[in-house]
Amino acid sequence: MARDFITPKGDEGIYHIDTASWRTYKPVMNKDICIECGICLTYCPVNSIHKQNDQYIIDLSFCKGCGICANECPKKAIDMVLEGEK
Amino acid sequence: MNYIELLDKQPDLVTPGTSACQGCPAELSLRSTLKVLGENTIMCIPPGCMAGAGCVGWNFDSGLKVPVHITLLDNTAAVLTGIKKSYEADGRDVTVASFAGDGATSDCGFQSLSAAAERGENVIYICYDNEGYMNTGFQRSGSTTKGSMTTTTPVGEVGKGKEQQKKDLPLIMAMHNPAYLATLSPSHMSDFVKKVEKAKSIKDGFVYLHIFSPCPTGWGFDGAKSIEVARKAVETNLFPLYEIDHGEYKFTVQNKNPKPVSELFGMMKKFRHVSEQGIQEVQNYVDKKYKILQSLVG
Repeated sequence: MARDFITPKGDEGIYHIDTASWRTYKPVMNKDICIECGICLTYCPVNSIHKQNDQYIIDLSFCKGCGICANECPKKAIDMVLEGEK
Repeated sequence: MNYIELLDKQPDLVTPGTSACQGCPAELSLRSTLKVLGENTIMCIPPGCMAGAGCVGWNFDSGLKVPVHITLLDNTAAVLTGIKKSYEADGRDVTVASFAGDGATSDCGFQSLSAAAERGENVIYICYDNEGYMNTGFQRSGSTTKGSMTTTTPVGEVGKGKEQQKKDLPLIMAMHNPAYLATLSPSHMSDFVKKVEKAKSIKDGFVYLHIFSPCPTGWGFDGAKSIEVARKAVETNLFPLYEIDHGEYKFTVQNKNPKPVSELFGMMKKFRHVSEQGIQEVQNYVDKKYKILQSLVG
């Protein structure tokens, strides 16, 4: 018998842990140098970078602070800053 | 739509907080793959890093936003087959895919994988190759590169790392004549997305995808460098990128001036004890494998 449901969608019933608490260094994007190529978005393992109003923004709510975005940015527009500093 | 827009717009079907290590390219590969495969997908993940990181769920909660099964190490391809057949009987077209580690593919699960490939089942078998059993603390697997230090091939007065060469699983699978086979690297994301899209479109046979996935924790390098390491592996021909579409071999990334493997070996701790001669042995093996591939491409 064919059933209609495919998948639980949304956040309900989805297991997740607070990976933001792992972070020692946080990525900070310098909008003046950024050329909006989108390289950081393609390589972020946690899917924390999105395009919003023609600008790339980093959402820190699950960012693990791995530093791939800073390492791969062709213009070095992302700096890794120690958590707690400005 | 180019690949960057696609990766931005498609919904992420993996739980936001998985416990994969900082800078894990396997997590990136799983997210990117599922963005391309879409919601009409059923995943099978055998025990390994991605299952351990919570992608199969925990305490009655799911880890993916699509149905996901944790299979046994040795029956992943058989489970894929069963699910696909069941949905075919229902008259529904779903993408059935696995995301298995190299241990679950080249060692434990090889007989069911080989059988499914031989039968030509229309399922997608994805292997992420981090060259060892990383989830349980880096034990040696068939896919580990020669000379690599692992916890079961320790380096000391007697042991000098793994003594055997890496098992070339993509070529072994190529000899099964699958409908589509490709090697992928997260460092070449445009190529990566193209290949997964093609894999999704195949409806007449077995699909095998092999993803190179450097492991920062096990191999001993900084998590920020994991994409750099993956790129270096492609540039040194240790992991050439090619595809086989219904018997047509093709290099998807041309490598005119391959770099020496010593550049890759210098980037991580697992190779730091390897002598010049050891590096040369791996270099010879890599060159020989590449020649075989070139002759197959023709």
